[in-house]
This record gives sequence, structure tokens and C-alpha cells, in this order.
Amino acid sequence: MSRIVVPGEILAEKPLRMPNALTEGSRTFSTVLGIYDEAKGALTALEGLWYPRRGDIVIGIVEEARLNSYNVELNSPFKGIIIAKFVETRLQRGDVIEAEVKELDETRTAVLMRPKKLFGGKVLDVKPSKIPRIIGRSNTMLQQIRDGTKSSVMVGMNGRVWIKGGNIALATETILKISEEAHTSGLTERVKAMLEKSRGPEERIPEEG
Amino acid sequence: MGGGANKPELIVNGKRLDGRGFDELRPIKIVAGGLKNAAGSAYLEWGNNKVLAAVYGPKEALPKHTQDPEKAVIKCRYAMAPFSSLEEHNRSGPNRRAIEISKVTKEVFENVIMLEDFPGSEIDIYIEVLQSDGGTRAAGITCASVALAMSGIPMTDLPYAVSVGKANGHLILDLNKSEDNFSDADMPIAIGPRTGDILLLQMDGDLSKEEVGRGLTMAKKAGEIVSKLQMDALRAPYEKILERYKV
Amino acid sequence: MQPISVVKGEYVRELLNKGIREEGRGMLEYRSIGVKHSVLQNAEGSAQVDMGSTKVLVGIKLDMGEPMSDKPNEGNLMTMAELLPLASPEYETGPPSPDSIELARVVDRGIRAANVIDLPALFIEEGKVWNVFVDIYVLNYDGNLFDACALAAMTALSNTRMPKYDKEKDEVIREGSLGKLKINNVVTSCTYAKMGNKIVLDADGAEESIMEGRVTIANDEKVVRAMQKGKRGAFSQQDIEHLMEKSFEKSKELRRLIENAKGE
Repeated sequence: MSRIVVPGEILAEKPLRMPNALTEGSRTFSTVLGIYDEAKGALTALEGLWYPRRGDIVIGIVEEARLNSYNVELNSPFKGIIIAKFVETRLQRGDVIEAEVKELDETRTAVLMRPKKLFGGKVLDVKPSKIPRIIGRSNTMLQQIRDGTKSSVMVGMNGRVWIKGGNIALATETILKISEEAHTSGLTERVKAMLEKSRGPEERIPEEG
Repeated sequence: MGGGANKPELIVNGKRLDGRGFDELRPIKIVAGGLKNAAGSAYLEWGNNKVLAAVYGPKEALPKHTQDPEKAVIKCRYAMAPFSSLEEHNRSGPNRRAIEISKVTKEVFENVIMLEDFPGSEIDIYIEVLQSDGGTRAAGITCASVALAMSGIPMTDLPYAVSVGKANGHLILDLNKSEDNFSDADMPIAIGPRTGDILLLQMDGDLSKEEVGRGLTMAKKAGEIVSKLQMDALRAPYEKILERYKV
Repeated sequence: MQPISVVKGEYVRELLNKGIREEGRGMLEYRSIGVKHSVLQNAEGSAQVDMGSTKVLVGIKLDMGEPMSDKPNEGNLMTMAELLPLASPEYETGPPSPDSIELARVVDRGIRAANVIDLPALFIEEGKVWNVFVDIYVLNYDGNLFDACALAAMTALSNTRMPKYDKEKDEVIREGSLGKLKINNVVTSCTYAKMGNKIVLDADGAEESIMEGRVTIANDEKVVRAMQKGKRGAFSQQDIEHLMEKSFEKSKELRRLIENAKGE
């Protein structure tokens, strides 16, 4: 049985090691608003922040282009940095990029590698704690969104989604629904149904301008 | 609070003027979320108090000299709206009283937020009192706790606050404005419910050593109710959605 | 401006170039508008307006005060706006910004010019008049503060208790059976944003981030009462004439919202 827990709430009267929880003496308590599955001994944050980890794919926005490096905003207290010599074409402020976290440097900045510029499209910020659900088990949810909307959709672990082409309005609506309902079961089926029946509020051409 | 010759009786026939018992809270309503731009927010009604709290960050602390390389810094603003009181219009912006409350509120949250997770960052806590009826700092802290939990910033506890005072020789819980104006003592307290730690303590008036002890016990007992309301408010939006898809 | 705002702005520009807006909204269409009056009890009047994700609150207080020396027989209207730091990551604590002062003054001008409040009727006795404080609180920013605030101010004023002055005790009575502040007229505003050759009504935050010019037209049922052109971009005479026409049309919706939000 799983239950919703709040920061400071006792999970167990024994020491347990898991993310988003701390142990004090013989007790373990949550540090976030989350769902605790006692049987599995897992605590999933409902509201949580992103901590950069090696290998994470992120979507960032170039904040400052310097001579040798780029500062990248990551929808997070943690900044990103790209070493300029690893980029083929020059980036500029406002460019949206997808990249991989190579490491965290001593100033806790995420050093990014393999940056890829994403041209045009829409960027949507969501809570990072919802991202695993938007991707789904072995990409199933994400693939479903791509197929159902014909949009290119890229997802960053830092809580950022990039959408281009296809039915962007429907893709947006779907992603927001997944974020809102991330803690429920049967979501994949509901999203499937939604995408199948809905053409979404297709952006219509207004009568006058 | 204050003395004076024409001090009204606050306790009549063993009841308070608004009909409450000595250890009875006013009605409290908390709604988690609501402000879209904030990382986390909450709205709280406590008696006639109406308070809005929002959290931004953690983000890079600016200006740079405010940064702490070891941990995040908290910036806190508590302010009363110019239309918040039943009496005349107030000047806008925090006065000296509000600045002091902002400081002690910040210190409450410095105790429970896992600041070391975010060196060089700042976390902003904004508390706006839209309507005041005594006990606004307690209401603000209780509301800000919920806003912080909604922001996902890790915390080791979920503090609540409540005030205890004294009128006509009796300890009374959760003073409203008119009680606050004429009581013999007022003692706002914030507590972390997991540890029982006292995170804010202010007092003015006259209380014996024994009364302070009883007052703290009274606050902790009421805190169980306040704490539960905070937890219910945090769970509510998720439970509502779970309910929607219940088979 | 935050980097994400730049990116969001570029996306709405891309849409506008195709002649469309997010969520299929028409060029001269408002987002959904929610109006609630008397949301506060200590204030003599109040209203909350939600316009899309923009959320504003107006509180009205009436106090006894002294008249201005040039208008000794009239009450005073004082309008202030606060862009609260909880409303946007771009807003900061501190003294009122030029933006918040402009917002307050434009809302004030509409109310004043349309004679919404009968200021001479707020005269009490020599040296004593009622001051009407209209305080605008911006709680969440997502564009078009001008129209949301004007609507909230007008709704709040339409539902404001009139305190009494007890001469013998020299006291203001704010509770018990009170009349309402007398309202003579209803004014609303429509604000348009211009980007390139496109003009849209009720720009949201992303649209305002790429807005080159802005014009606010406040009117009552019959005439234009206040205008304000803002930002670097310019409008042609034809633009203004067309937009006035549209404002008379659109303001009917807004007046209906105020009418529906009237208490007993």
C-alpha cells in the first residue's frame, strides 16, 4: 500500500536508505512531498528538484556566450557549462540545446557534452519530478506522444520539454495532463485514449488580425 | 497588548468573547498551490486572517556578495497589505515590525530546509497578509511551510506556528486581534512537529515560568491539529486526482 | 529577462507570423476571465480578477482625511499598485517601480475621468473629507495587468461599503448597517499589444515579452475616458481609430462581468 507523505513525516521506525529520505537514530523520515510505497521501500517525490547526475540528458537555454564557454540555464539552481571547443557552430544567447551531463565540477556546475542545438519550437517547463512519467517505462509514454501528435518531442531530466511540429497544442495538453496525473495508475491507457480521440484544440486561424 | 484602566474583560463566564474555549483554535483552511509562476505556493485562512505565501528558487543568489559557497541563503519578506486591517489604510511595504517578523520567519526555515544541498543559491519566501486579525506571523509561517513543501525544496520538517497568550489570568490559545490588543501576554511559537523543536519563540507581557511551560504544552497540543491541516492540504490536490480514477 | 522568457517569446512570434495564437485564441479575444467581488472583509471593498494566469486583487479602504488645498470641497481618490515579488520571478522587493506607478496611474485616470466616484459627495465638513484608497495587488503575472487591474478596481468599487462618521465621538464606523459607496459610471479598459504588423488584445506574458508597442483605451458606454500608449513601438491613426471601435465592442463583455459580480 502506498501513501502520500510530507516533509518530516516518519516512514519507518528503522533506518532505511533511499532517495528523498533521511535517517535519524532509529527512524527514517521523508524530506519531500512524495509517495511512499512501503512494500517496495521506495519514496517517489511528487514535488522535487533535479540534481544533476552524470549521463542525464538535459534541455538548456544558452544564457551567456563567452569566448571559451557557454553558460547554460537549466530550470534549476544548478548551472550548466559547455566548453566552446566541443561545439561545432557558435551558439548564442537564447539558443535551446539538448546535451548530456558529463560531470559536476567543484563549483557544482554541470559540465555538459554533446550539445545539439534545437531550432524553433516550443519549450515547456514542468516539475522535474514528473519527467520519468513523461518518458515512461522504456520510452513508451514519450513514443506514444510523438506518434499521437506527429510532433518532435525532446525531454530533459531537468524538467524541460521541447516540442516542434505536428500538433503542438495537443502535445502540450498531453504533457501537462501527464504531469498533473503522474502519481496515478492507468495513465498510459488514458493518454492513449486521449490522443486517439482528440485532435486537440488545433490552432485555428482567426477571422481577423 | 497593553494595560490601561479601561481594559475590557476578555473572559466572560469561562468563555472567550468569540465563544471559544481557552485552548480552542479558530477555524483554519489551507489550500496548497494556486500561484502559477511560483515554485510553490499556498493560501491560508485562519479565523479572519487571510495569507498568501509563495516560494521562488533555489536559484543563483544575487547580488553575488550575498552568496554562501557552503549553502543556500533564504530571503524572506513578510508584509501586510494596506487594506488588510479593519481600521485605517496602512502604508504599503514592510515597516520595522514586518522586517523583524521576516527575519525570525527566515530563521525558522533555515532550521528545516536542507540548505547544504544548494550552495551559492537563494530561496525566496514571500508572505503577504491580505487580511489581518491577530496571529498573522503564525498564520504566515504555517502557510509558508506548505508553500515550501509544494516547491519540492527538501526539508527535514514541516513547521507550524501558533500563539498562546494570557487574559484575565487564564492562558488562552490563538489570540485574535481584539484579544491581542488587551491581553496580559502574547507568545508566538513555531515548532517542528517531527522533532518537537521550538523554532520561533517570542513573548511579551507577563508570564510565570510555570505559565510559559504550560503555554508551550498548549501550543504543541494545538499544533497536532494545525499540522494535520497542513498535511491534508498538501495531500488534497493529489488525492482529488486519485479519486477521479478510482476503480 | 530570463532566458526561458526569450524562448517563449520567440515561439509566440513564430505563431503570430502564421496569424495564430496559443490555444487557438483569436487576435482580439480575451482569455477566460474570472471575477469575484468582496473576497476580503476588513477592506471596505475588494475584488479578485483572474485573466488567464494573471491574478490580481484590489482592496478599497475609506478613511477620513483632509481635502487637497485646491479642491477643499471634494474627497480624494488614491490609487496605488504593487507588483508583488511573489507574482513573478522578474519582480523585486523595494520601492515602487516606474511600471507599477504607470499601471496605478492609468487605472486611476480611467476611474477619475469617467467620474466613477462622486468626489464632491465625499465632503464631510470643512477640512474633513473621505479618502478612497484603491490598492492594486498583482499576485501572479501573465500579461495584461492594465485590463485585469482596471476590471478588479471597478468591480471592487461597485461593491464598496460606505463607512459612517460619528461627529460626536469623532469616530469612523466601519461595521454594522452601512450603505454602499455611490458609483456614477462604469469604466473598463482594453489593452492591445503590437508586434510587427500584428495587433492582439489581452497579450499574455510571452506575447508581452516580444511586444513592441502597447495601447490602452479606457471607455464607458459612450465615450473614451483615458488612453495610454506604452513601449517603443508606434501606432498609426488608423490603428487607434480601429482599436477604439473594437474597445467599445469588447467593453460590453467586461461591463457584463462587473454587472454579474454585483452583490446585494
